[in-house]
Amino acid sequence: MATGGGGSGHGGAGSAGNADHHKRNTFTSYVAPLPGDLRATADTNEWCLPSDLRDVHLAKPRLLHGEQIVASAPAYMYSPIDPMDSSGGSGSTLSAISSASGTPADRHHKEATFGLLSVTNFKLAFVPLHEKRNQAITAPLIDLYQENTYLGRNEITLNNIDHIYTITELGRAASALQAARGMASHAGMSRRKKLEPFKQQNISGRIAALHIVCKNFRLLKFAFQQQDSKMFGASDQGKLIASALVRFAYPMRHDLSFAYAHREPYYSTLGASGTSMYATKNDWARELIRCGATEWQVVSCASVQLLQNPLQAGKYTVPPHFVIPKSCSVDRFLDLSRAFCDSRAAFWVYSYGSSAALVRLAELQPAAQQDTKSENVMLELVRKCDAGRQLKLLQLTDRLPSIQDVLRAYQKLRRLCTPETPEKFMLQDDKYLGLLEKTNWLFYVSLCLRYASEASATLRSGVTCVLQESNGRDLCCVISSLAQLLLDPHFRTIDGFQSLVQKEWVALEHPFQRRLGHVYPAQPAGGNAELFDSEQSPVFLLFLDCVWQLLQQFPDEFEFTQTYLTTLWDSCFMPIFDTFQFDTQAQRLKAVTDSQLVLRPVWDWGEQFSDKDKMFFSNPLYQRQRGDLGAQAAAVAHRRSLAVGSKGAHGAASGVTPSRNTINPQLFATASSVPQDRYLQPAHRIFDLQVWDQCYYRWLPILDIRGGGQPQVDLYHRLLLSNIAKVQRCLDYQNFDDLPDAYYEFAGESRPNQHKDEKPDKEDEAEFVDGVERRRKPTAKAATPTSGLTSVTGNLQLSTLSSFFPFGNPIAGDAPLQLYDILSSSSELLMETSSFLDKSSIV
Amino acid sequence: MDPSASLADKLASKTASSNSLDSSSKSSSLGSKHGGGENGILRDTPFGYLEGEEDQDQKNDVTYVCPYRGPVFGALTITNYRLYFRSLPLRDQEPPVVVDVPLGVIARVEKIGGATSRGENSYGIEIFCKDMRNLRFAHKQQNHSRRTVFEKLQANAFPLSYSGRLFAFAHAAANSVNGNGGWDGWAVYEPLAELRRLGVPNDMWRATKLNESYAICDSYPAVWAVPKAASDDFLRRVAQFRSRCRLPVLSWMNPRTQATITRCSQPLVGVSGKRNSDDEAYLSFIMEANAQSDKLTIMDARPSANAIANKAKGGGYESEDAYKNVEINFLDIHNIHVMRESLRKVKEACFPTTDDSKWQTAIDNTLWLKHIRCILAGAVRIVDKVETMSTSVVVHCSDGWDRTAQLTALSMLLLDPHYRTVRGFEVLIEKEWLSFGHKFQQRIGHGDNKHSDADRSPVFLQFIDSVWQVSQQFNNAFEFNEHFLITIVDHLYSCRFGTFLCNTEAERVAEDLKHKTTSLWTHINSSLDQYLNPLFPSFTHGAELVLRPIASVRSVRLWKGLYCRWNPGLCAPQHGCQRTRELLSKQDQLFKLVNELRLKSNNRSNSMQTTTRLASPMH
Repeated sequence: MATGGGGSGHGGAGSAGNADHHKRNTFTSYVAPLPGDLRATADTNEWCLPSDLRDVHLAKPRLLHGEQIVASAPAYMYSPIDPMDSSGGSGSTLSAISSASGTPADRHHKEATFGLLSVTNFKLAFVPLHEKRNQAITAPLIDLYQENTYLGRNEITLNNIDHIYTITELGRAASALQAARGMASHAGMSRRKKLEPFKQQNISGRIAALHIVCKNFRLLKFAFQQQDSKMFGASDQGKLIASALVRFAYPMRHDLSFAYAHREPYYSTLGASGTSMYATKNDWARELIRCGATEWQVVSCASVQLLQNPLQAGKYTVPPHFVIPKSCSVDRFLDLSRAFCDSRAAFWVYSYGSSAALVRLAELQPAAQQDTKSENVMLELVRKCDAGRQLKLLQLTDRLPSIQDVLRAYQKLRRLCTPETPEKFMLQDDKYLGLLEKTNWLFYVSLCLRYASEASATLRSGVTCVLQESNGRDLCCVISSLAQLLLDPHFRTIDGFQSLVQKEWVALEHPFQRRLGHVYPAQPAGGNAELFDSEQSPVFLLFLDCVWQLLQQFPDEFEFTQTYLTTLWDSCFMPIFDTFQFDTQAQRLKAVTDSQLVLRPVWDWGEQFSDKDKMFFSNPLYQRQRGDLGAQAAAVAHRRSLAVGSKGAHGAASGVTPSRNTINPQLFATASSVPQDRYLQPAHRIFDLQVWDQCYYRWLPILDIRGGGQPQVDLYHRLLLSNIAKVQRCLDYQNFDDLPDAYYEFAGESRPNQHKDEKPDKEDEAEFVDGVERRRKPTAKAATPTSGLTSVTGNLQLSTLSSFFPFGNPIAGDAPLQLYDILSSSSELLMETSSFLDKSSIV
Repeated sequence: MDPSASLADKLASKTASSNSLDSSSKSSSLGSKHGGGENGILRDTPFGYLEGEEDQDQKNDVTYVCPYRGPVFGALTITNYRLYFRSLPLRDQEPPVVVDVPLGVIARVEKIGGATSRGENSYGIEIFCKDMRNLRFAHKQQNHSRRTVFEKLQANAFPLSYSGRLFAFAHAAANSVNGNGGWDGWAVYEPLAELRRLGVPNDMWRATKLNESYAICDSYPAVWAVPKAASDDFLRRVAQFRSRCRLPVLSWMNPRTQATITRCSQPLVGVSGKRNSDDEAYLSFIMEANAQSDKLTIMDARPSANAIANKAKGGGYESEDAYKNVEINFLDIHNIHVMRESLRKVKEACFPTTDDSKWQTAIDNTLWLKHIRCILAGAVRIVDKVETMSTSVVVHCSDGWDRTAQLTALSMLLLDPHYRTVRGFEVLIEKEWLSFGHKFQQRIGHGDNKHSDADRSPVFLQFIDSVWQVSQQFNNAFEFNEHFLITIVDHLYSCRFGTFLCNTEAERVAEDLKHKTTSLWTHINSSLDQYLNPLFPSFTHGAELVLRPIASVRSVRLWKGLYCRWNPGLCAPQHGCQRTRELLSKQDQLFKLVNELRLKSNNRSNSMQTTTRLASPMH
C-alpha cells in the first residue's frame, strides 16, 4: 500500500519526495493520508487475491524524477470496444455472437486485463500483471507505433482526465465485471455517477468500476475485485483510487502540477534558425521585416516606463511584446487600450502584399461600450498604416460560436466518440450523421474556415483586416492563424507552423491554463457548475481540426502530417512542457521565479519522441520551395537586427527618445519576402468536411481498418521517396549494389545475391500470412529468392498496420525493419533544404 | 461549368471523373454520310458523333433552365443516342453551358405548361434522369417546337415502348462496317477459364453444362460448378425445391482451404414447412466438399422477418432442424423497394443543391449509408467465415439475383485480389451479375418508359457504391480508380453498349448481343490509362491481402464524386494523385537512367576484357 508521506517507488524518487515534503507545507495537506492508509506495512496478501494474482504488487509503474505514487490497487482494465462485437452491424448479430462466444463470464475475462492501477502525482498508470513476461516478445512490434518517453501505452497524465465516473453497487453484485461494462447487475442496483471537483463526495455503496473520460477522446474502464465484507478494516479499492484521482486530477493551483516537482534539467536542442518563440523584441522585428510591415513598431513592456511602475502596470494586461501602429506613441496607445477588454487594442500580427495588415482587436469593455471614441480612434490609427487607407472589420463575436458553444460541441462530439459498450456504439451508429450534426462541431469548423477565407481574401485584395473579438484571445487566435496559413506557405512548414502557434497563441496569450482545464480554481460561494465550466473550452482543438481539414483538401501543401497535429493535441496535456500550460506570459515568468519551474518548450520533440516517431511528422507529399524558407530569411533578419542594436544604443546616447523603445524596420528591407502566389482557397461547407478519425476514433479498435486507411497511402509515398533516394545515391556514387527491390522488378531481374551469409537467416525468417506465423518452406540453398517473392512478403508485412498508425494497436505481423528502411531513406529527401525540383534538374 | 462539361473542358472533366460518356473516336464528317443527306440538316454541332449516331431533331430556339446559372438560350440537338444542348455565348469570356445526356439515362419526359401558360419559361419539357439530374427546357409557344422534341425524345429514349431498337445495336452495326480492330470485350469472361483459375474441376467440384440450353433454370448460366457428389439428375431434383429453380452453384473457392461460396435462391418451404431430402443432402455435399469444416453457414441476406413472411408466398429459409450441421444467419439487407426509395431521397438531398446546414441529417434520413453498411457488414461476415473459420458459405435472398449478387461479388472482391484488378473486376461483374441473372433490364428499365415500375431498383449501383467504399478504406488495394467505377455506372444507363442489356444470359444469347452489340469492356480496355490507380503498387503484383473493411456509418461516406457531380460548386479538385504520379514518374526516370548506366558499365567491362586479351601476347 502506498502512503502519501513517502514514495514507495525507487529510492531516489522517495528521497526527492521527502525533500519536497520538507520544502512545502502545502504538499502535506494535499496528500493527507486516508484512514485506509494507516497500515504501517503492506502485506502482499492484503488484497485477498487468488494465489496466481498475488504478484500484482510487483507491477509498479516506472516513475520519473519527482514522481510519487499516491494510491495503488489491483484492478481489471477493460479493452475498448472490439471489432468482433459488432462486425455484423446489427443487434441480432450481437446477440448471436454473444451466445456463440460462450458464457458471459468467460467473455468478460477475455476482455479484461488484470494488473496494478496506480495514481501518481503525474499520471494514472495501469501495469498489466504479466506485462514483463511478455515484454521481450512484443517490444520489437510495439516499436512501430508511437512511443512517448514519459508515458507508457496504458498511462495517461492527470491533466488528460476530464470526467471520472464511478459505478457503485448498493447491494451484493453478481459480478463486478458486469458493472464495468455499464450493465445492470441482477442481484443489486448499480449507479453511474460523475465525480465533481471540490464537492464532498459521500459515496454510498462499493465502487465496483471506474470510467475515465480523457480530453484526448480516450475512454478507460477499470473494475475492482469484490472484497469480502466480513474482513475487518477492508478498504474499498475503488474508493481509494477515486479519491486520489479527484484530489490530484483536479488541482486548485497550478503549482501543484507535476511540472514543478519534475526538476530534471532541460538542455535545449532547438536551433536558433528554427521555430521562432516570439519571446523577444527581435523575434517580432524579424517578422515585421519578413512581411515588409514598415508602418508598425514593436513594443516591449520592459522598455516602457509606464508599465514598469507597479502602481500603473496593474491597469494593463498586455503581453510582454506586441506590435502597434508606428504613428502612435506607446503611452497614447496604452491609454487608449484601457477601454478595451484585457487591454487588447489593435495588435498587428501579419502583413501581406504592399501594406494590407492583419490586426487583432478586442471589444470595448462593458463599461466603455457607450463611448466608441476609443475604438474609432484605434481603427483610424490602423487605417493610416494601410497605403490604400482601407480597412475591413470582421466582428467575430457575432459570427462565431462562443467558448461555451465550443465546449458544448466538443463534449457532445466526445460522447459520440467514447461509447462505453458495443450496444451503445451500434445505437449511435444507427443515427450517427444526425448525432454528428447535432454536436455542431463541424458546423463551427466550417464557420472558422469560412471567416479565415474571408480574412485572407481581404488581405489578398490589398485591404487591411481587423479581427474583433471580446478580448481577442480565443476565436481571434483561430481565425488569425488560419488566415495566415492560407496566405503564407512558410506557415505550412513545421518550423513555420510552430512559430505561428507561438505568435498567435502563446505570445499573444491565449489562456491555455483555463481553456484546457489545467487548474480548477475553487468555486466562489454560491457559484454553480455552469459558471465553472464556462472557463474551459478546447479552442485550440477547434483550430487543429481546421488545419486538419486543410490538410485533407491540400495534401501536398503542408510539411506536417495529421500525426503531427494529433500529437500536438496530446501534448497539450503533458504538463512537463510549459508551452500550453499558462494563461499569460507573466504567469509563466512567475512560475520560474517563485517556484523554480523548469521551462521546456513542446517544440523540442526529441524530448518526447525518438527519431523514428518524429519521421511521421513529415509529409511525404510535401515539396519544399523557396518561399517556404522562413528560416533563412530569419537568419538574415537576425544579422540585421544586431546592427540595429548597436545603432539603437548610439541613438539612446544621443537622446533620441523614439528609438529607445523600438527597432526601426524602416532602416532595412521594405519589401515583403512573402510569396504572393501560394495562397490556398479552401472549401468550407459542412458538405466538404470530414471527421478527423485519427484523433477522435483511434481509441476505438472497432473502427480500425487493418491494412487500410491513410497510413497505407502515406507509407506508399514514403516507399517511393525511399526508392528515389536510394537510386539517387547509387547514381551519385556510381555504385549499384544497393538498389531498391522495385528497381529489379522494373528491370525484370532478380536481385543478385552477393551476401552468402544472409541466406540462412532469410530462410529462417518467419513469414506472416494474414497475421498467422508460418515457416516459409525450405528451399534449396542454390536457389536465389526472386524479387517478386521478397516484394510480396514485404507487402504482406506492411499490410496489417492500424489505420490509425502510428496510433492504434500493434498486432503480430508488423515488420519494423522494412519500415525503418523506408522511413530513413525517404526522410533523406524530405529533410533536404534544396528543393526537389532543383535536385531533379541536376540529374 | 453547368451541369456537364463543355467540349473544350471534356478532357479535363474526364480527369476529374465527372463525365465519362463521350469519347468520340470519329469526326463528324463520317456521320454526314448518313444523317446529313437524309434530313438536309447541316452538321454544326460540336460533339463528335459516334458510329451509328444519327440526328433526329434540332431546335435553335430553346432555353435551358439551368439550376445554377439560370435560363440560357441555345440550340438543342436530339440524336438516336443523346440529347445535346449548347448555349449561345452571351459574353466572350463566359464558357457555354453544355448539357450532354445519353437518352438511356432518361427515366421520364414530361410536358410543362400549356398553350395558355403565362410567365417566362413556363412552357416546355422536364426530363427526369436516372443519374441524379433533372433537366428543364423551355420552348416558345408559337411554333410548336415542343411537340416534335417531346415526340422524338419519347421515341428514342424509350425505343422498346415504341417498337424501336436500342442504340447499342445501331452503334455496333456501324462500328462493324468500319472494322473494330481492337480489343474484344466479350472475350473478357470465359466461364471454364475462370473456373480453372479457381481450381475447378478438382476432387470435390466439377463443371457441368447441364443447363446448356437453359432448360433447367432460364436465369442461370449455361455452365455450373457443382459438388462432384451430385449427379445431373440429382441437380434437377434440387432445382425444383428452390425458388425459380435457382439451386446452389459455386461462386468462389478458397485455393488454400477449399472453403467455398455458393449462391442460390430461397427454399420453397412454405407455411407448411415443406422439406426436401435432396436439397438437404445437396447442402451436405457442399459442406463435405470442404474438409476443413464440419459445418455449413447459410447467409440469408434478408431481415429475418422478411424471410419468415416469404413463407406465405411459398418461400422461406432453411430450418436448422431440417438441415443438419447448418447455421443460418440473416443479414438484414432490405428489398428492392426500400432501396429504390432510399436512392430517391439521396437524389432529393443532392440535386440540384444541398442545404449545407442540414446536410448530415438529410443524408442520415435517406438511410442510404445504412443500407451500404449492411451490405458491407454481410460481405465481411462471409469473408470471416470463409477465410478465418474456413467454413463454406451458401448465400441467398429471395430469388437470389439481387442481394445475393451484391454479397457474393463483394465478398469475392474482398477475398481474391484478382478481382481488384481491372480485368478481374470485369470478370466478377460478368460472372456474378450477368451470368447469374441479375435482372438489369427490369431494374434499370433500358429503353422502357415505365418509370414507376415497381421492379426498378438501384441494386447494382449499390454494389458499385460498396466497392467504392472499400476502395476508400484501402486506397492501395485496387488497380482501378474512381473514374473506372463512374464509367461503369454511366454505361449501366447509357444503352451504348450491350453489356448490361437484357435480364439473363439466356436472353443475351437469344438476342445475339455478342455479335450485334459492343461490350463495355472493349471500350474501357482500349484506353486503360485513364482508369488506373497510381496508388496501386505495380511492383508487388498486387496486394495479396484479404480486405476487411469497417462496416460502420462512421467509416462509410456518401460518394460525392458520383451523386453530387452535376453541381459545379460541389466538385473539389484532387491534389494528392498529381503528386503521386510525379513521384512515380520520377522513380521510373531514375530507374531507366540506372538501367542505361548499368548496361554501359557492362559494355565497358567487356571492352576491358578485350584489351586484356590483346595485351596477353606481349608477355
